[in-house]
Amino acid sequence: MLTVSELRASYGMVAALHGVSLEVTEGELVALLGTNGAGKSTTLKSVAGALRPVQGSITFLGEEIASSKPEAIVKKGLSLVPEGRDIFTSLTVAENLRLGAFASYDRARYHEDLEEVFGLFPILKERLTQAGGLLSGGEQQQLAIARALMSRPRLLMLDEPSLGLAPALVDQIFELIASLRERNVTILLVEQNAERALEIADRVYVLKTGNVEFAGTPSQLERELDITEVYFGGEGGTSEVTV
Amino acid sequence: MIGGEFLINTLSLGSLYALIALGLVFVYGILKLVNFAYGEYIMIAGYAMFMLGTLTGLPFYVTMVLAVIVAALTSYLTELVAFRPVRTKSFNAMLVTSFAVSVMLQNAVVILISPRARAVPLPPAFNASINILGVVTPLRNVLTIITAVTLLTALTLIMKYTVLGIAMRAAADNFGTTRLMGVPANLVISVAFIISGFLAGTVSIFWVGRSASVEPLIGFTPLLIAFIATVIGGMHSLVGAVVGGFVYGLLFNLLSVTLPASMITYRDAFMFAIVILFLVLRPEGLVRGSYTEERVG
Amino acid sequence: MMTLQEAVAALRKRSTVWMFAILLLVGTLLVSAFAPRVFIDIYTYFCVTLMLVLGLQVFMGNSGILNWTYVGFVGIGAYTSSILSVLPSVKAMAVPNMYPALVELSLPILPAILAGAVVTALIAAIISWPLMRLSDAAGVITLFAMLIVMQVIMTQWDNVTNGPRTFFGIQPFTTVWVAVIAAVVTLIVTDYFRESSLGLRLRASRDDRHAAASIGVNVVAVRYFSFVFSAFVAGLGGGFWAHYITSFSPKAFYVIEMFLLLTMLIIGGAGSISGAVTGAVIVTIMRQTMRQVEGWINNSGAVSFEVYGLTEFSVAIMLILILIWRPQGIVGGRELRLPSLGKRHQASAGADETAEER
Repeated sequence: MLTVSELRASYGMVAALHGVSLEVTEGELVALLGTNGAGKSTTLKSVAGALRPVQGSITFLGEEIASSKPEAIVKKGLSLVPEGRDIFTSLTVAENLRLGAFASYDRARYHEDLEEVFGLFPILKERLTQAGGLLSGGEQQQLAIARALMSRPRLLMLDEPSLGLAPALVDQIFELIASLRERNVTILLVEQNAERALEIADRVYVLKTGNVEFAGTPSQLERELDITEVYFGGEGGTSEVTV
Repeated sequence: MIGGEFLINTLSLGSLYALIALGLVFVYGILKLVNFAYGEYIMIAGYAMFMLGTLTGLPFYVTMVLAVIVAALTSYLTELVAFRPVRTKSFNAMLVTSFAVSVMLQNAVVILISPRARAVPLPPAFNASINILGVVTPLRNVLTIITAVTLLTALTLIMKYTVLGIAMRAAADNFGTTRLMGVPANLVISVAFIISGFLAGTVSIFWVGRSASVEPLIGFTPLLIAFIATVIGGMHSLVGAVVGGFVYGLLFNLLSVTLPASMITYRDAFMFAIVILFLVLRPEGLVRGSYTEERVG
Repeated sequence: MMTLQEAVAALRKRSTVWMFAILLLVGTLLVSAFAPRVFIDIYTYFCVTLMLVLGLQVFMGNSGILNWTYVGFVGIGAYTSSILSVLPSVKAMAVPNMYPALVELSLPILPAILAGAVVTALIAAIISWPLMRLSDAAGVITLFAMLIVMQVIMTQWDNVTNGPRTFFGIQPFTTVWVAVIAAVVTLIVTDYFRESSLGLRLRASRDDRHAAASIGVNVVAVRYFSFVFSAFVAGLGGGFWAHYITSFSPKAFYVIEMFLLLTMLIIGGAGSISGAVTGAVIVTIMRQTMRQVEGWINNSGAVSFEVYGLTEFSVAIMLILILIWRPQGIVGGRELRLPSLGKRHQASAGADETAEER
């Protein structure tokens, strides 16, 4: 469904990705793991069109999208839930959701989709007319995911959905992601919380300073890599910090 | 002194200033660009009224509508030709571009028409005094208030209840994420410029109406008014712009009646000193937006 | 003791300045020997303008902050130096309302110009500290508002500036040699600033304010001192300008003049001295050409109305085009150095290869 090939990207003069390749097949849940600064977010942003890569190709459903605009990519069925939740704080929950459906708006389906989303996230229905900025962290994360779902994505990318959330909420989020899987939403999940991600993933990639260090199934990962390497980048457990 | 006439004057001046400020903030909210060319949209509309009024026999209510359309069109074109290519470059590049566009438009008019002021034909009724609730005031003032109220209501409805309005507010909140929702960046920005130009054109009708003439630099003072009003009211929300406009109108009239005659020429300096104080002490303005102006030190 | 290699390397690093200095001096020799009066005037004016653009580069080029107030400081320098240098008898006649204390003041011309620069810097020191903390929109509008305040004061303060009327009677002092020497000195000084500790810290804050702060650069202080220095150069340039033009009014220190200085710097490239020089040359040539064209059109009667504003119009168009196609300016951010003119292409090619946010 999604093929990323030899992707190179930089922020200004600083190279972040040095040739990342990965694949996501329909119906899978693929996890993208790695330390801070490994390039996970950069990869997602490049795929979503928010960052233009220097080199490499990105194919989605057979089409090359590496140089497409973000608004066009969403229309094709590829949605990103950005890191840090990034909801529209000055808009209400209802308006956030309405915007989520912008790319693929269909009046009849819109209300159906809303009901589905309320089924998954009942709290959003309660807070429908509140400004996004007034929601709690967990509620905002739910809103961010709900908003992305409104566009009926074929492939949903999530950038660190559990970041900064209390453990109970983290459980909730991961349960939710797993249940999305049941609904035939293909998922590419970037997470720092490697353990939880590995529990639900079909396959996993591990990034390290802009390169793919490992590609395989979670059980393979457990056999071959020490989990602390995934968290801390190996070499005695010091964390890699790249600017 | 502070009586019915003062009230109507201030309401009308405040309305005008609110519209001026609103036009500037529409573009600023989404692009974070202070558009120096904004004053020139007002100027172009004025010249449109001049040319249509003197060269064709069209009645004023037609030329003024056309002038508004011309202003909106000019705004749209400047975005398309000058601002869009620079948008991806630095923030400063856009700012300087707006300055350059402003100078270019001013001098285009100087070259093609004249550096001197030109009289604009207005219907006599426009400036005739009428009696409203015992207060005598030019019809123009009353029309300004009515127009402002109508436009503000219309814009509020659009921004709140249409998808485009929601998208524009989202773009002002977080431009990048708005694109991730599938909202085309160019559409939102073009619409913002068109609305900005539309407001400029409307302002022009009343601005030119005060002096019945146009000259190439006529857009400068409204631009300054927009700056001051948005600083006072806050650049981060449309409401702020409107509040700022009314507060500025009030301050201006108050200074005009209270300053001793010898200092009246310094009124502008006073206004700007107040502005600078605001900027230093409360850069976000009176109406807080969803984020505050970043402080460096 | 430096080795010969180190000495050569140091000289090479400063070669920009020497290159331009030599060009300017040789140019002056040629111009004053062979060129007609008109051309000498243009050349003199160019040298003074160059001073002004360099002063603008000091702060704006190295900090990345658009400095709208700059031309106001030029005005302060012009007025101050003129008030100090013009003979009391002339002042009494030219500026009838001037404060008696000011009328009495009299200094020789060069000290007057220097004093003007010092006064300008002092005023900048007093008013600009709070401004250095602002950023983005607030900063833009504040600086612009400051320019307007300066203009209003200059136009209204009859007793000092003669109000909106012309201030005349200034002795001509800025001959072509004075101008070129002043320009060369300014070149040396501004280049020194750019490579100095203060200049480097300022440039660091331009490229990434937070990164700079995180390595201990006090961004506000660095900006402040650079701003004051920039105002000093502005005042100095204003003084030399005043003694070239011998009469002026507040209009000379307002929006359109600011626009022209800004354009010179940006077209050439705000980040470097070479950019400032290049921009000044290009815009000066363009202005003079357009002035000629305007003259021909008006004299030939080709069109029925008088044509003005062609200069400003074309300069504006040129600026827009540069911003679209090469916003870093013709020279770009680096200095032109003698041996490394070839290497410059490599450096800028590298910068083009990185990803951009869309």
